[in-house]
Amino acid sequence: MRRNLVRVVSGAMLLGLLSACAVNETATVQVGEDGTTKIIESNSGFLAASLSIADSKVGSAGDLMKVQATIQNQSRSDLNFRYKFKWLDNDGFEIAIDGRPWTPLSITAYESKSVQAIAPNPTAKAFKILVQD
Amino acid sequence: MKVTKLFAVVMAALLLTACANGPKISYGDATAVETTTTGFGSTDLQSIAATLVDDLVSFPPIVQMTAARRPVVFVDKIKNKTTEHIDTESITDTVQTKLLKSGKFRFVDMTAVRAVQEQMQFQMDSGMVDPSKAAAFGKQTGAEFMLYGNMSSIVKRNDSTKDVYYKFTMKLVNLESGIMEWAGEKEIRKSGEKSFFSL
Repeated sequence: MRRNLVRVVSGAMLLGLLSACAVNETATVQVGEDGTTKIIESNSGFLAASLSIADSKVGSAGDLMKVQATIQNQSRSDLNFRYKFKWLDNDGFEIAIDGRPWTPLSITAYESKSVQAIAPNPTAKAFKILVQD
Repeated sequence: MKVTKLFAVVMAALLLTACANGPKISYGDATAVETTTTGFGSTDLQSIAATLVDDLVSFPPIVQMTAARRPVVFVDKIKNKTTEHIDTESITDTVQTKLLKSGKFRFVDMTAVRAVQEQMQFQMDSGMVDPSKAAAFGKQTGAEFMLYGNMSSIVKRNDSTKDVYYKFTMKLVNLESGIMEWAGEKEIRKSGEKSFFSL
């Protein structure tokens, strides 16, 4: 009985240690001028394996770039994560750094959702979607 | 038995050194999702500003109007109808900054009128400023539009759950004609459940 109690306490401590020190993961998806998408950097095997950019559209609102990306959950479980848009100018410099917040998004199994954003100014010519577990 | 006890002690030591080693100060991501309480927070402010600015600059009549010129706008205060104390000027400041940086609008800053007046008075009356280079009275541009809004909330709770719904509405009105050219809305729902330990 006492031995079992010690085991339970040890297990709970290990769980607490792991959950208290969890690390956020980030994956970056870039959409090219031709509309093709590719993951250019990822430190999240889970997200890279479970999510994909099913479709992306680039339009304009006046001289501001308007983008839409359809994110698909390819896994059999519901996913809760955060996404964020980043904007790049013609030379690849990031503009309006921290201009947009991380936005929570939930996608049920095998479902897809579209996310949209308008560029912060007319110098934006490309964008990235960051996904955080 | 001794091994399991030793294991438990090692785990406790690891837990304490890893996560409870005195006060720890660190810088965080200012745009990270903040869920400390169900009260109005930084994530709400940022998402309201991002949504409404996107909505305003992409509304077709506004796109058409701002294609060739940058209309001058005056920002009025946001009426806070919630039960919380919320710095609504901070929301309008963020919206104003984003709109200004979009290159679509210009603003007159009514919060600085007194300071501007004092500086102009100094330039005109102090005798210390070259009159040919002093800013003249009566040359400022009047605003063509007014941006204003409301913020309201509905809070419901039971023994274990608290649900907060925020609605933020912003409107752009032509000062001369009185016509509302644009209105945007952002809704936020936040739910909080009491944890096992706080029951």
